[in-house]
Amino acid sequence: MPTDGAGKRASSDDQPLTELRAILLGPDRVAWDALRQRLENPSRRAEDVAGVLAEAVRLRSDVKLRRALQPLLEEALQLSVQSNPRMLADALFPIFGKAIRKAITSELDGMLQALSQTLEQSFSWRSIEWRWESFRTGKPYAEIVVLRSLLYRVEQVFLIHRNSGLLLEHVAAPPEEASPETKDPEMISGMLTAIQDFVHDSVSGAESENLEAIRMGDVGVVLAYGPDAILAGFVRGVAPRKLSRVFQDALDGIEQKKAEALRAFSGDTAEFDSCRPRLEACLVGQGKAEKRRSGSWTARLLLFGVPALLLLALVGWWIYSAAIERRWSDFAHRLANEPGIVLTHAERRGSKFVVRGLRDPLAADPASLLPAGLGLSNVEFHWEEYHSLAPRLAAQRRISELKDELEKRAFGFTTGSAQILPEERFLVEDVGSRMLALSQAATALGKTIRIQVRGNHDPVGSEKFNSALARTRAENVRLALIAFGVPSDILIAVREDLEKETCGAVAEEERMVCRSASFRVVGVP
Amino acid sequence: MLKKKICMVGEFGVGKTSLVRRFVDSIFSERYLTTVGVKIDRKDVTVGSASVTLMLWDLAGEDELTPLNLSHLRGASGYILVVDGCRASSLKKAVELQQRIAERLGPLPFVLVLNKADLRDLWEVKDTVVSEYGWPTFETSAKAGSGVEEMFLALAASLLSVNAAAEDPIE
Repeated sequence: MPTDGAGKRASSDDQPLTELRAILLGPDRVAWDALRQRLENPSRRAEDVAGVLAEAVRLRSDVKLRRALQPLLEEALQLSVQSNPRMLADALFPIFGKAIRKAITSELDGMLQALSQTLEQSFSWRSIEWRWESFRTGKPYAEIVVLRSLLYRVEQVFLIHRNSGLLLEHVAAPPEEASPETKDPEMISGMLTAIQDFVHDSVSGAESENLEAIRMGDVGVVLAYGPDAILAGFVRGVAPRKLSRVFQDALDGIEQKKAEALRAFSGDTAEFDSCRPRLEACLVGQGKAEKRRSGSWTARLLLFGVPALLLLALVGWWIYSAAIERRWSDFAHRLANEPGIVLTHAERRGSKFVVRGLRDPLAADPASLLPAGLGLSNVEFHWEEYHSLAPRLAAQRRISELKDELEKRAFGFTTGSAQILPEERFLVEDVGSRMLALSQAATALGKTIRIQVRGNHDPVGSEKFNSALARTRAENVRLALIAFGVPSDILIAVREDLEKETCGAVAEEERMVCRSASFRVVGVP
Repeated sequence: MLKKKICMVGEFGVGKTSLVRRFVDSIFSERYLTTVGVKIDRKDVTVGSASVTLMLWDLAGEDELTPLNLSHLRGASGYILVVDGCRASSLKKAVELQQRIAERLGPLPFVLVLNKADLRDLWEVKDTVVSEYGWPTFETSAKAGSGVEEMFLALAASLLSVNAAAEDPIE
């Protein structure tokens, strides 16, 4: 076969060349074979790389390698968690366990703070305001309490490089009139770091523990820590717990965004100018109570003033009408108790007071019983007349009757005479007995009456004579009555001057009336 | 704005605080030195065309009873070893401190300062001994004010050159 023949020829031709090659490259060839074997054998190659890997990674400790490794590491971690979550959990527990404990403690602290504050303010006037606000706005009461009770203001925020204490960025709230000027923030930043170191060295040795807050009077410092930076805020007033979280969140954001710059920081702070908005977001505060109040003064006036006025008016009206009512009922009571008045009906009809009943004409005038403050125009009386049997009224009526009877009687005299005529003698007993009855009735009422005995004369004769005659006539009748038994002190003899024309015009037979002694009762109640 | 942290270290009573006081306007009282162990001052300097803010950490002087708190040196860009020319022991202390700092923080730019130049006649520290170390050395007098500014400026300049080297592209 030609092919075989050619091959044999070729190999026999190559023989010397091969031998020459073996002579020239003998020792190197072994090394080449070894190298080839190393390159071609994957397991050998892996061994080689393993030998230098650590050194190579150390040499390439720059961003590129980190970026290249990042997805691998992430995937590896993911795989690890999927296959055996316990391993990673165990590894991370020392860090997380502590952090979680701390978070829970801080949360509990916050709750306690809120609770104690709420309890403190539950029964105050402010709490009533808050409850009303909560009712008005529909917000939960607790939210209103937190919103209104914590007054604070973050005045300055410092972003500090943790290692060197150098100030990376600083923002300050617009100064208020009272607040002192800001001291050099660079030095404050340095001293804060130094004090943090000092406290750390003095109090505890644990690396993970940090100074969390500094407080002096009204001003405090809130501190948040990251691996490479510290965020510190100067707070005036009572900072709520959540403020630390605001700071921590802001710092976490900065650390994440500026991780490279923070790690490689060598004094150039221009890099951190872009953090300003994040720091400014930390300049939070709860406005002053006074300001809030002045803003809603009108609303407060409407809210509390108007109902208060209404309430006041209502109370005033109630007191007034109660007083009026009491006066009316007093009046009705007095009417009912008044002798000679029987109250059958009394009611208020609008502003009028309507009274119905029976009334003895001798009874007191109901209008005179009205108390002060009630006008007669406000009362409407409807009386039926009747005769009361009340002792006082009965006595009064008797006196009235006797008086009328008495005053109708008269002693007649003959012309020029003052002697009681024998046919008129019976009148002494008739008049005298009535006078005694009258006197008794008046005494029963506690009154004293007087009875005038009036002597009269006709127009005939001189005036002087007639005057003496009239007096004598009165005196004679008086003496006759005293003799009958009428007490002398109630009888008064007087001369009555009848009109001359009256007597002068009458006929002779009627002049008897003029020549008389008549009676007038005085002092009748 | 470039900022650098510089620490003043040295034996007790060598004049660190006086040097700083010569150089800056301070807002904090010197009581901090004895209470917190450090006092911080600020000085803005201009080196060439660059302006640098130096934050000077004046650390309480070391003696037998109170060792220097090296944690205050964390993050420092450089430091100043202060020696009292009248006390040979203070140079020994400075050398020892330099070693400790280099161990803890690695190589950092620093200058050696021989203070109290106004009392040069009474000096125990010999120039020949100092020059053996080969460190950048300055003679200052906090009392008279001589050499202070130059020393701080020189350190600032060396910090800036380190900065410039660091910012060179590594790739």
